Amino acid sequence: MIELSHLTKVYGDIPVVNDVDMTIATGTITVIVGTSGSGKSTLLRMVNRLIEPTEGRVFIEGRDVSHLPAHELRRSIGYAIQNHGLFPHWTVARNIATVPLLLGWDREKVRARVAELMELFQLDHDQFADRYPHELSGGQQQRVGVARAMAARPALLLMDEPFGALDPIIRAKAQADLKAIQRRTGTTILLVTHDMAEAIHLGDRIAVMDGGLLKQYAPAADILARPADAFVDDLIGVVDRPFHYLTLGTVGAAVEPGEADGAPLNADASLYEGLGALLWSGRKAAPVVDAAGRDVGRVSLDSIAERAARPT
Amino acid sequence: MTMLADAGPDEPAASWRIDRLGVVIALLLVVALALPFATFRATRIASGTGLLLHEALPAPAAAAAAAALVAALAGAVTLRRPALRLAAGVLALVALALGVGAAAAFLTPADNPYARIAPGSGFWVGVFAAAMLVTDAMVRLRLGPAGRLIALAMTAALIAALLASGAWSRLSLLAEYRSRADVFWREANTHVILAAGSLAAAVAVGLPLGILAHRVRRLRDPMINVLNVIQTIPSMALFGILIAPLGWIAANVPGAHALGIRGIGMAPAFLALFLYSLLPMVANTIVGLNGVSRAVVDAARGMGLTGLQRLFQVEMPLALPVILTGIRIVLVQNIGLATVAALIGGGGFGVFLFQGLGQTATDLILLGALPPVALAFAAAVVLDAVIEISGRGKP
Repeated sequence: MIELSHLTKVYGDIPVVNDVDMTIATGTITVIVGTSGSGKSTLLRMVNRLIEPTEGRVFIEGRDVSHLPAHELRRSIGYAIQNHGLFPHWTVARNIATVPLLLGWDREKVRARVAELMELFQLDHDQFADRYPHELSGGQQQRVGVARAMAARPALLLMDEPFGALDPIIRAKAQADLKAIQRRTGTTILLVTHDMAEAIHLGDRIAVMDGGLLKQYAPAADILARPADAFVDDLIGVVDRPFHYLTLGTVGAAVEPGEADGAPLNADASLYEGLGALLWSGRKAAPVVDAAGRDVGRVSLDSIAERAARPT
Repeated sequence: MTMLADAGPDEPAASWRIDRLGVVIALLLVVALALPFATFRATRIASGTGLLLHEALPAPAAAAAAAALVAALAGAVTLRRPALRLAAGVLALVALALGVGAAAAFLTPADNPYARIAPGSGFWVGVFAAAMLVTDAMVRLRLGPAGRLIALAMTAALIAALLASGAWSRLSLLAEYRSRADVFWREANTHVILAAGSLAAAVAVGLPLGILAHRVRRLRDPMINVLNVIQTIPSMALFGILIAPLGWIAANVPGAHALGIRGIGMAPAFLALFLYSLLPMVANTIVGLNGVSRAVVDAARGMGLTGLQRLFQVEMPLALPVILTGIRIVLVQNIGLATVAALIGGGGFGVFLFQGLGQTATDLILLGALPPVALAFAAAVVLDAVIEISGRGKP
């Protein structure tokens, strides 16, 4: 568990982060979302003390982070940033090995860990281990950056706009991969973004920041259903709100008994994908199958529409 | 239109296309043939008589040299393959080098040991043209750093072989050298110590100063301004300015005199070269460190590298090519500037240069001027190669 307690950062007379209290559960993804200048990056960077708070404290598993030397603290926390920040004069393998080597792991253990991570992030070891970062595509560089951040198995991973420099298709894939990897490793992730769709897609909980203040901190469904104020409402976007809402539920949750014609939908697809498939094929309903391919009923436009309406 | 002609695979004229730089080189070679190849003087400071190629050499040798130069001239205009152009240039240089040595031997009268034979204006124009052909061909060959170092070593070996073989022994320049061989090597030693020693001192002081100015922003502008002011002082004035304080130190600080510190001599020369070297060193260190991407520095901090680990493992290696460029500037600059040190008794090749100027003895001036030029050229080639190698693997 990570606790931010009365966390404040003041530059001159201006509070960039103003008295933020937050508790982050172990093993979850928490997304801090806000416009530029909202203080979201500053908040993130106070967790590993790249920025020292003016006031307030950060506790990781009950331990005050200010009691450790800053560089030792940072070696225990993963850190991934926009534009990856890979060391251009080191190979991919050497980049990934950065923190394990700082921690003094023996060579064999480091080599094994690098190979394991490269497989996890779908980078062929023989092909990429000895390449330099500038010889990689943007998506590959980003994956190396995240692999490097996770190299020493940190319990907490901080990510500052990690997908900001990627094009939309690679970005969606990277988001899905991160989510899958996080579910597998159980790493606690604190991620900063300006993109509400990314926040809703990735975040178990979402923290909305504006002007240094924490406006709302809640699960995605709550943020969509009950935005705390006009700013949060704006950030979600009035037009997009029902569609965001549909991305949270699965087709399986909207199944009703009965039959329908045409290609079946997967029960674990999102309602948003289900709606798209129905609209495009011009059907009112479609059959639904589970992961094993068994027929479990049907889903209709009406049942999806019901779930896009504001909950009462 | 030339593009179209180039594109035609069965266009025979393409390989005979006229090369524009080649035309300039060819014209220079024509001028070289028309100017005196060697100069004859009855004594080392008498005024000379210019002798054309056919007057300076026995007929067969003159014909051979002329043929080689004409061949190079034709090659410069018509040849396109860089390797062949290089061969043409080398042919011209070798013909000129051997020819001038042979001319000296041929022209020296048996009964007059004081007569001096020096290369004439035609020789120098020819060397200039041939060197242009060679360097242009080297650029077109796109030699890598290793190739350029090998070419430099081969050039040095060729010159050493010519000197050792005695082919040039009758030339006036070598006559001047022979009468001062001991002094020559002593001053050469002094020159190298002045240039390389002041560079080493500037690296030892300038690198930490540059790192400091990079880390502490407030220091940056004042430091650069002070060094800029030093850089604008003319070298003669700086030598003069240093005489008084160093003289005072020599007289009043115990042990200073024993260390070789004097108002004149090597100490002020060394100090002046060191001061001139600081600006390029400090400025390039700052620029190099500033050039390291912010994301990389942020990542290094976020990964938990300590300040020193970040400096030595990340920032310095990435800034290295720019810092090496600073070292190249300083070394080439110091090899040239060290010549002036002779004016305040600092020694170096300048000793011959200023003696020669005083006696209006051209050969002595050349004895003082050519070695630093060759040293500076060699230093530039070597450091350029090192810079290119150090920049590999980086975007």
